[in-house]
Amino acid sequence: MEAFYFVPELLFYILSGLILLSSVMVVSARNPVTSAIFLVLDLFFVAALYAKLDAHFTAAIQVLVYAGAIVVLFVFVIMLLNLKPEALRGIRFSVGEAVVLLITLAGFAIVGSELARTAPDALAPGNLGAGAIELAGGNTFVVAMRMFTAFLWPFEMASVLILLAIVACVMVAKKDKVLGAAHHPRGGSAE
Amino acid sequence: MGTNFGVDLTSLLQWNQFTVDLVAFVLKFAILAGGLLQIPPVMVWVERRVPALMQRRRGPNRVGIFKWRLYGLLQSLADTIKLIFKEEVVPDGAHKIFYHLAPVFCVFPAFLIACAIPYGPDLKIFDYTIPLSVVRVDVGFLFIFAISSLAVYGVSLAGWASNNKYSLLGSLRASAQMISYEIPLGMSLLPIVLIYGTLDLGKIVEAQSSFFKWGAFTAPASLLLFVICMFAETNRAPFDLAEGESELVAGFHTEYNSAKFAAFFLGEYVSMFVLSALASTVFFGGWQVPFVPYESLVAMLGSPNIAAIAGVLMLLLKSTFFMWLYIWVRWTLPRFRYDQLMSLGWKFMLPIGLANVVGTAVVLAVLRFK
Repeated sequence: MEAFYFVPELLFYILSGLILLSSVMVVSARNPVTSAIFLVLDLFFVAALYAKLDAHFTAAIQVLVYAGAIVVLFVFVIMLLNLKPEALRGIRFSVGEAVVLLITLAGFAIVGSELARTAPDALAPGNLGAGAIELAGGNTFVVAMRMFTAFLWPFEMASVLILLAIVACVMVAKKDKVLGAAHHPRGGSAE
Repeated sequence: MGTNFGVDLTSLLQWNQFTVDLVAFVLKFAILAGGLLQIPPVMVWVERRVPALMQRRRGPNRVGIFKWRLYGLLQSLADTIKLIFKEEVVPDGAHKIFYHLAPVFCVFPAFLIACAIPYGPDLKIFDYTIPLSVVRVDVGFLFIFAISSLAVYGVSLAGWASNNKYSLLGSLRASAQMISYEIPLGMSLLPIVLIYGTLDLGKIVEAQSSFFKWGAFTAPASLLLFVICMFAETNRAPFDLAEGESELVAGFHTEYNSAKFAAFFLGEYVSMFVLSALASTVFFGGWQVPFVPYESLVAMLGSPNIAAIAGVLMLLLKSTFFMWLYIWVRWTLPRFRYDQLMSLGWKFMLPIGLANVVGTAVVLAVLRFK
């Protein structure tokens, strides 16, 4: 009767496995384009995990911003630089890196076990089912309400920061061109 | 009567709902995918016959069954068979994995987006309501933008993995173009979101119940912007710089042949159809029959299921108009120059799109303030 109820849980484990696998591939692939494509897959699977948790808005934004915009730029840069795979090192851990890896894993284990021991409720799912989301007015509505009331100032600050970066980029890109044009009015082949 | 064989009836009902959803999902996806696969052959045929009509030529008119030539319709079938059985040549310097994966990256987003479009009103079979979109996402708009932004990878990977300078240049052009026009495309749909107050495509269609509530009337500037971006997003004439035969041989798919070349065609035509269906959904009332509200349609046809079929046919008819527009424009306008394309996108479409969003917001604020 309840034959299919394990499907959502199974999906969680499949997606988590895929996320871990593609994350490992991102850092271990020899070819940078392979790394970038696995990064896209990684972000896509994380979005799928969000979607599985009924956080459709977050899932869509995750794909739109990271997979659709940021990694495209990575791919562009890598393709234009045209790095040769052999110029890069594969997975060969030095002693220092191995120590760092071990410490990281140990820290992760300690934090995880400590969290599970002291606050098991923190790891339990909250009331975030599809019904509760629908009742609250839908994903987009809830996010928008929080963002434009309680978090309006941080949100606007962040957007100003990004705008600053854009203006700075334009200035940096423009400076050379103006100077060059001043010296060589016809594109620099005068002498 | 009294015994229920130890089975909890409510759980049986739930299980049934789950099974119905699952079966409906599989069936809907199979029908949709099967339908989408029919688009390229038919469109290739149309794309040969229509310019023939416009230029007073005959176009393909030979391939048929025995003496029935069917206006050369089977030419597409012959071409498909040819494409599939052609020898596959992979260039020596190509990156083997990505060369083979790129067509998949091109086709997959187009099919995925097609799943989110509401093709008709709900079917009502026994006690179950089956919505006529493969998945019903409450953030339909964002879903479509998110997935369509992934289409860039297919193009850029194809060009890079072919290890050919024409391919690389074509792919760079194509991806820069797609990224640039994604922004005005999103901007052009924002007023629609403001006006109808939802990101759910199904609800937007329901809101366009009467003729003058169609998006084309409530947001005409958006329609214009969207149609222009639609051409640029699918790399179609007059924005087919990605191909530019006179400059780049064939652009990013120069080194592709046989079935993988056909896959790029499939991706292109399916995304053309998806954008056409999206345009019809957002601006032309989707499956709504003009001047006939859904309730009277059901009353007229006697059953919600027949009304649903009528709705699907209506949406297909409206999408056909946009598909026709694609071909019409292709054989009417010359190709843009690349710098013209970019300055149109960034210096003209984007400011107008922004002004459109702000203007719509102001008008709505004034209207709601009263």
